[in-house]
Amino acid sequence: MDLARQAQAGDESAFAEIVRRYSPRVFRVASRFFRQRSLVEEAAQEVFLKAYTQLGSFEGRGSIEGWLTRIATNTCLNMLRSAKRRPEFTVSDLSNDEQNWLEQQSGSDGNEQPSVENSVVATDLADRVLSVLSPEDQQALLMIDGEDASIKEVAEATGWSESKVKVRAFRARRKVREAMEKLLGR
Amino acid sequence: MNKHITEILDNTSLANLSENELTEIRAHVVDCASCRKAYEAARMSAAVLKSRTQAVIEPSPFFQTRVMAALREQQAAESVPAMLRLWRSAKAVVATMAVTTAALAVVSFVAPAESTPATDQSASVYSAYSVIMDQPADEQMTYEQVLSTIYEDDDEAR
Repeated sequence: MDLARQAQAGDESAFAEIVRRYSPRVFRVASRFFRQRSLVEEAAQEVFLKAYTQLGSFEGRGSIEGWLTRIATNTCLNMLRSAKRRPEFTVSDLSNDEQNWLEQQSGSDGNEQPSVENSVVATDLADRVLSVLSPEDQQALLMIDGEDASIKEVAEATGWSESKVKVRAFRARRKVREAMEKLLGR
Repeated sequence: MNKHITEILDNTSLANLSENELTEIRAHVVDCASCRKAYEAARMSAAVLKSRTQAVIEPSPFFQTRVMAALREQQAAESVPAMLRLWRSAKAVVATMAVTTAALAVVSFVAPAESTPATDQSASVYSAYSVIMDQPADEQMTYEQVLSTIYEDDDEAR
């Protein structure tokens, strides 16, 4: 709170400290939306530039982290909306690694720690099935099913109502499951 | 146990299913092939989503410096439009002042030259002098006559 007040008064070193302290959080949010480092950094920088110009609107009711999380979420959503449309979901071009990963998973109980290589394959698969969703639905699903966030936490981070978050998550979960069924059934 | 379980699967994340719900799902998928496939897909989806959220990129050590440099650049870029805005708001006043100055210049230097014959001061002075001193020859007065005329008027006034 003190840092925010100092930064509001024009103290640049206080704002630099805010950047240092909260950039891991902002990077975490941006990493949900983008996988390329350059895009994550671009988004994070945009977040802090916006935060600086909107410092006057931070009233100190919530935490700086929560305030920055919301700016980060909205900034990333806007970047995704303005980006070119993703290629449509297809099941015809699964790589051998992806196919192997799916076969391994279907035989396991899901509690084993994946290797780094397997994580990359799983992340690729995630992006493939997530491509059927709007950026907003992706956000809701990744937070709830990926990060175990509560409905309330997602509502706070996005500014949506809790019922809207529930609807988005339900719809996203069903679409992703159906996309995965297609992948498994090919 | 005949009710399909896809609604339960879509309603909440697998990690948040209650024991009762899990029991219901497991019992149902034994005999229902389509729900078995749906449950399998839900498990795969949950696994890939977990992996996706673990792929977090950390900020580089130079990130803070980069942001602060970008901030200064932004402030410098914003200061130019600010000057432009100031100029735009002052433009009307400056234009009015310029027009007024030009009008005054025209009145002071151009108009008097054109109206010289009508407002020639030396001509007026000459005319006043001529009223007294340069009358036609037959009506010309001497200096003494002028003085006595003046004093006569004064005496009459008294």
